[in-house]
Amino acid sequence: MKEFTNETLDTGSLPKYEEVPLNSLSQKYWNVMLINIFIFLLIVGIGITAVLIFNADIRAYLYIILGIYVVFALLMITLYRASLKKRGFAVREKDIMYTSGIIALSTTVVPFSRIQHIALDEGLFSRIYGLGELRIFTAGGSSGSLHIPGIEIEKAKSIKELLMKQINEAD
Amino acid sequence: MSEATNREYDFSEPRKQSAAGIIIMFANGFQKIVRALALPLILIIVKSKDSGHLAMILIVSLCLLTIVLAFYAYFSYQKFTFFLDEKKQEFIINSGIFSKTSLTIQLNKIQQVNINQNLLQQVVGVYSLEIDTAGSEKKEATIKAIDHATATILKQKLLSRDQVEEENTSPEISDKTVEITSPLLKLSTNTLLKIGITSNYGASLLLLTGFIFGTLQLFKDYTDALEIEREQFTQMLNQGITFFSMCFLAIFAIIIILGTNIIRTFIKYFNFKIIKQKRALAISSGLFTHKNVLLTPNKVQLSAYSQNYFQKKFDLLNMKIKQASFDSADKEDSKKSDIEIPGCNELERDEVLNMILGQVPVNGAELKPNYRFIFLQTMIWIAFPIAVFVLLSTYALPILRNYLLIIIPYIMVVGVMLYFEFRRHRLYVDENFIIKRSGIWDVEHEIIEPHKIQAITAKQYFWHKAADVGHLIIHTAAGVIHFKYGNYTHIKSLVNYWTYKIEVSKKDWM
Repeated sequence: MKEFTNETLDTGSLPKYEEVPLNSLSQKYWNVMLINIFIFLLIVGIGITAVLIFNADIRAYLYIILGIYVVFALLMITLYRASLKKRGFAVREKDIMYTSGIIALSTTVVPFSRIQHIALDEGLFSRIYGLGELRIFTAGGSSGSLHIPGIEIEKAKSIKELLMKQINEAD
Repeated sequence: MSEATNREYDFSEPRKQSAAGIIIMFANGFQKIVRALALPLILIIVKSKDSGHLAMILIVSLCLLTIVLAFYAYFSYQKFTFFLDEKKQEFIINSGIFSKTSLTIQLNKIQQVNINQNLLQQVVGVYSLEIDTAGSEKKEATIKAIDHATATILKQKLLSRDQVEEENTSPEISDKTVEITSPLLKLSTNTLLKIGITSNYGASLLLLTGFIFGTLQLFKDYTDALEIEREQFTQMLNQGITFFSMCFLAIFAIIIILGTNIIRTFIKYFNFKIIKQKRALAISSGLFTHKNVLLTPNKVQLSAYSQNYFQKKFDLLNMKIKQASFDSADKEDSKKSDIEIPGCNELERDEVLNMILGQVPVNGAELKPNYRFIFLQTMIWIAFPIAVFVLLSTYALPILRNYLLIIIPYIMVVGVMLYFEFRRHRLYVDENFIIKRSGIWDVEHEIIEPHKIQAITAKQYFWHKAADVGHLIIHTAAGVIHFKYGNYTHIKSLVNYWTYKIEVSKKDWM
């Protein structure tokens, strides 16, 4: 407590996280999302078909089921599309933040000095489009860590390098 | 310390556990095998009706097993060595007969060192030493048999890195605290009794229900197996219920709950003591198993205290001190690294907080939740269940109609509870501390320092945009602090303020 100072802080002049321009995720990530949605819908569709084949009674409701299925598919696609537009991340001088969510828009800020380790994942479909997912872990457990998908792999690597450098400096 | 003992407590050479370790290892192995084999064995014995040969075979194989286990214990004892590499600041444990493992722990990663003693260890006269480490991969080390003097010295050496540092930075404080040898806090029998009466009703109730169901099941199995005429028993039971009035039963249940509560408290916290050491708190307790925990203030992530109505009357507080828990930051249970002080008064609380935080925190500027907080809770807990109940009673289950009047007391009780929850949901913020108050019956205050924050999340539902209402989630290494329905502009400015504080401050979170 030797060099203790306590100057007045103008909290209004602090850098505002909510005004930082966000980098949106790569447009190519939409393709990855579409593939995932498609696979999911395919599996559900196969399941429904199987039920329809084996259970004759339900066949009477064929059109209702089909209708629900189509509405569900459309809803999923629009929701994911909307969520892609909402997602974004930004790297500031001393922290990294990620915004996501459709119903609830949430922004998480992780200061560099609190990062425990970083992982860069390339999923099968992501790799086709040259994308990666950055996963940033803190000691706050899974709730306090960031998962940023859909970043171009080169960009993701450079961000990871930058963060690694910051962490090592902090030590 | 004399030279002879100095040599004895030199940990730079690989050394073994206490010789009694053989017994402990043997007992552990034996226990494991008995646990694994007990059920199948019993089944075999019950299923096969013939007696002579089988019993012989079993006894012989058991004897053989015991001999093998004894050898195994002996060799594991021989192969289990540990030493301290002071140059590299590492503690190394080697073990294993067939497959060898070498566990290296860097001293600066050590979170806490616990010295415990279970019943068997108490009989043999040894202690176990557990090392908790920080690091996402689970690497916990245990030395199962070690005498008390060695354990204490080893513990000091393992934690010495911190102490050396701290002695350099603040020699005055450590000098002063060393002189104090009398405990900072000691729980008397009287206090323990008060604690038992006033806290943990829920846990005891669960335990009791579990116990009752267990005995009922056992009773059923027993009567089934022995083909006793159960009617006699059920008749007796029925008569019993008419005999005792429900009121008496309720009183009986309360007495049992209080009784188990008191017994549990005594077993867990008997002879509870907190002793101030060099910049650390040593906490010990336990009736059958002695628990010893060393708490270093800069490793504390979150301190909390709570109090209910009765405890307030007794001037009792319950404190919880949470250290970083890497495996279970999200789980509510399995709080091994948590330290609980079951009872203290406000003075003692302030002293402990002062020790951990460097000063006694005061409530800063108050943040109140929006009235929407109570609105949503009312929907979930009152409107929705009543709607379901009414719909069920009118369309599906007419029997329920007789109970429709229950709705009125339900609304009253739940309404009052929700109101109190709303009233108590507060966040107090000042320069040095963030304090969150919450709770319905037990009012809890959770205190964190801004530099212990790992990440911050601000969240807003889209229909709250116009009302400027949002949520704040503070992630720490000891769990999450959630403030709901606050003024979103204010929350955003707090996020900015705290990120600024974390990034400017040189203080590490651990």
